[in-house]
Amino acid sequence: MEEKHTWDWRTELKEIPVSEWTSRYNWVEDPCMTPDGESVAAIVNLDEMAFGICVNGELWDGEHEKAWHLVALPGNRIAAAVCRDEEWSLVVDGQAWENQFDFIWNLSATPDGKHISIAFQKDMEYGMAVDDTCWEESFENMTGMTLGDTGKTAAVVQVAPMAAADINAFAKGVFAVAQDGRFGEERFLNAWDISFDATCDNLAWAVRLDREQYSVAVNGTVWDSRFQQVWQPVFCGDAVVAPVRYQGQWRLFMNDEPFWLNGYANLWRLKPSADGRHLAAIVAQEFGRWTVAEDDQVWPVTWDTMVRDIYYSDDKDTLLAVFKDCGAWGLARNGTAWNLRCDKIFTPDMNRDGSVVAVGFENEGQFFVAVNDQVIAGPYEAMGDPVVNPEGDKVLVKGIKNGVYRRQVVTL
Amino acid sequence: MNAFIDFIMGPMVWISFLIFLGGLGYKLYRIIHEVRTKEGYVFSYLTWYHSLRSIGAWLIPFYPRATRQQPFFYGASYIFHLALFVVPLFLSAHIVLVEEAFNVSWPALNDTFADLLTVVIIASLAFFTGRRLIQPEVKFLTTAQDFALLFIVLIPFLTGFLAYHQVFAYQWMMILHILSGEFMLIIIPFSRFSHMITAALTRAYTGSEFGNVRHARDW
Amino acid sequence: MNPTENTLDQAVEEGLERLTQERITRTVNQVLEKETGARFTAYVETCMRCGLCADACSFFLSNDRDPNRMPAGKVKQTVWEMLEKKGRVSKDFLRRAVRIAHLECNVCRRCSMYCPFGIDIAYMMLLVRRIIHKLEITPLYIQDTVNSHSATLNQMWVKEDEWIDTLQWQEEDAREEFEDLRIPLDKPGADIMYSVIAPEPKFQAGLIYQAAVIMHAAGMNWTMPSRPGWDNSNMAMFTGDNEISGRIARAFYETAADLNVRRIVMGECGHAFRSVYDVGNRWDAWAMPPFEVVHALEFYHELLTQGRITITEKYGKKVTLHDPCNVSRGRGLHDMAREVVGMTCSDFVEMTPNREHNYCCGAGGGVINCGPPYKGERMVNNRVKAEQLRDTGAQVLIAPCHNCHSGLEDIVHHYELNMEVKFLGDIIYETMEKRVYTPGV
Repeated sequence: MEEKHTWDWRTELKEIPVSEWTSRYNWVEDPCMTPDGESVAAIVNLDEMAFGICVNGELWDGEHEKAWHLVALPGNRIAAAVCRDEEWSLVVDGQAWENQFDFIWNLSATPDGKHISIAFQKDMEYGMAVDDTCWEESFENMTGMTLGDTGKTAAVVQVAPMAAADINAFAKGVFAVAQDGRFGEERFLNAWDISFDATCDNLAWAVRLDREQYSVAVNGTVWDSRFQQVWQPVFCGDAVVAPVRYQGQWRLFMNDEPFWLNGYANLWRLKPSADGRHLAAIVAQEFGRWTVAEDDQVWPVTWDTMVRDIYYSDDKDTLLAVFKDCGAWGLARNGTAWNLRCDKIFTPDMNRDGSVVAVGFENEGQFFVAVNDQVIAGPYEAMGDPVVNPEGDKVLVKGIKNGVYRRQVVTL
Repeated sequence: MNAFIDFIMGPMVWISFLIFLGGLGYKLYRIIHEVRTKEGYVFSYLTWYHSLRSIGAWLIPFYPRATRQQPFFYGASYIFHLALFVVPLFLSAHIVLVEEAFNVSWPALNDTFADLLTVVIIASLAFFTGRRLIQPEVKFLTTAQDFALLFIVLIPFLTGFLAYHQVFAYQWMMILHILSGEFMLIIIPFSRFSHMITAALTRAYTGSEFGNVRHARDW
Repeated sequence: MNPTENTLDQAVEEGLERLTQERITRTVNQVLEKETGARFTAYVETCMRCGLCADACSFFLSNDRDPNRMPAGKVKQTVWEMLEKKGRVSKDFLRRAVRIAHLECNVCRRCSMYCPFGIDIAYMMLLVRRIIHKLEITPLYIQDTVNSHSATLNQMWVKEDEWIDTLQWQEEDAREEFEDLRIPLDKPGADIMYSVIAPEPKFQAGLIYQAAVIMHAAGMNWTMPSRPGWDNSNMAMFTGDNEISGRIARAFYETAADLNVRRIVMGECGHAFRSVYDVGNRWDAWAMPPFEVVHALEFYHELLTQGRITITEKYGKKVTLHDPCNVSRGRGLHDMAREVVGMTCSDFVEMTPNREHNYCCGAGGGVINCGPPYKGERMVNNRVKAEQLRDTGAQVLIAPCHNCHSGLEDIVHHYELNMEVKFLGDIIYETMEKRVYTPGV
């Protein structure tokens, strides 16, 4: 979110009443808030089979028979899937796409918010559409839709027919990976977990070649190594790295060669640092004990339940992990856990070097914001993820309290 | 001849017990070690409480439902296993030998009672053998090895019984008794007799999976 | 190709044809040597061939005490012989092994409770299935479900749009009863993620409707995921495809993690509960599920005891309750199930044996998923269940599990038991007061 500095970090408090919406409409669905906190939106019911999108108290033009998938996107746009006369379309900031479909779902946006993609079904054929432009070819089935950072799309598509319970056709391989709707010659028993590189020039994904053999395909070319199982490969600079199960342990391979030396009980969700020089992953060093490994060095702490996700700060000084231990969620920074324990924890945000970390959390049905392990705001009835300003001296808190949406800039 | 008897009543006893205890000890170590290296998950679920709870439940006669459904077998089996330990350990003739060697002793069973228990053991073995010969589901599983195991248990008790009653040549009977007893001890760690320790382990694991993970009883 | 005494379905027969002796031997030995450890050795070495497990097994009891169908007998005909022959087993042997492991064992674990040593015979049958999987001779229909799992992460080739569309359709229908009822999709931070098995959207969408009504009436903060990971079923764990099984479990829990829910409530399914609670998670090194998983009957218990759902009038017909293996022996929920029945039904009769000692429905463990070709033998193989049901004299059979439900429907029909098979949810839906819970009212 490079545009963060353009947001209003000066106005301390902006309020939008939201509970009154419930008196205006039959019902109001779950609110969502744009990253900059300037808008709060919800799908509202106007009448039987009549829905609208209400943003900051104003209805977008048009009534819809159905509406769902309301999302606030990076770039502070709001989008939803809407249906009229059994035709679905995407409406972005009140403007509907021209294309109409029999169904749409899997709405995603690039991190800069410039490109939006959806998966669609039209006449029982499947494809993706980006910024209102559809793939030229559509397919019998489609899974694993992926949007690259520059707006390119890819998905696993079924390119050969397969009758019901036709396990022979399946065994021959009916799946390919289509990039922007075009696919190559390769067929796979299974293809999963597509990753683009930063420029979207290259693609890597996990493949299963037969019942027992897994590998990694890079632009359609399969590595020579065969593994017992593979999780999602990612690009780390120019290299492709993948967690693979090899000789009974999870290991990290890079460009078809062993990379990390240690074997793990599990190893997944690889995260390269922004400069591509460091690599972190969620690991279980032993059965049932979870932690984080950075460049094959394991954090000195383990948790019994799970590590949900890990996050690098922009300049790689800080690595965060959201974990669950003994049934409660927590956050750890560079191997040290905060004291905070909660029922739910949301996505953390931090400044460039990660010295200021903010996160929303929930305890007993009430929402709060913590910064560097100190609670700075709350309780709220509902909340959007807090944002730290680039300088790291202010935190944008977005929450609903007593029926009023409050956009608050808290100076640290 | 005397030298031979001295050997089987002296060093050979030591050797037998060493192999018996050492073998079982090694087996236990090997199992735990292998579980640790290859199946570490087992320890994630194993608890003392649930292990002992399950073992305990199965030690109480006719507490588990399954045991009530097979009263004859379990009745025979409980008594047999009990007697198998009690008779050799509390037989006055055995205690005397230990007292001579180490000057320690403990209360002995009444000889007639011990004799009766020996008959029970022999009768149980006959029952087990009969089951293996007649009952279709047991017969289906039975191999020569199973009869061999029954025979290995039978001999020391049968010869002891015969020797006690001075039937046939006493001395030969005694020699056979000692040798077969030592043989049984030696073979325990290397045969399915080792269920005397492994059964506790399998029961403990199943008891833990049932109790600790699945919150259910396994009896 | 229809299976006979000497042949199985097309997938098994064609698979056997392709096999070489070298591959058979290598695969058997690889699984039995490399993928097992002391636990397996202890099971093999500890078994005293006493035959006491026989009385545990509904296949044995239903087939006039045929020793071939007793638990240890099945091990003898598979694992012991594989070990004895050092993996050099024939195709005919393997065909028999497929029948034993896939069609004549529900991996219900009842035999562990009849073996005095607690030997886990189901584990050994699953090892045989693992070998069968690697040899690519798994029965056709269940393999197709695993193929579906691998490609779509659900069991029934439900396409992604079909899933969402079905939820919206049920939501719309349910608005007939509650004007503002919602099936909230992808609601981040909801308390509950509700999850079902793929046959629900495929064939029994009405169950989703009922669940939505119950959730709405109880005033729960809940959500359902629109993305793959919504299906909690897992046939791969029953074919020995542990890798796919682990992939399914991962997707399931990561979906819950992404939605940031507090716990997962699942529909009335037993095998799915086993998969997410006890099996799939382990392949991913989660010793216990990373989210609390609440089976429907535990959830109903909670709603009823907390007064979130009230019963207007108890269900009047004479009911009996089948304990699904995977939530009774697999989770100890049998007493809770009885309490729920007690709170909703006025005339309840037990079938015996029950609770942990129940007989499997005969469909479980992936047996019914081997498909129509084997339905006939499945009926024969569970005569004992039919007798047990008949003895209750009940009009309605409550089976809080999908597999059980389908399996028992077949049994009831085949043995002309004249019983209605119902889910607990059906009863609750029928008897509950259709108003929204408000605390303190």
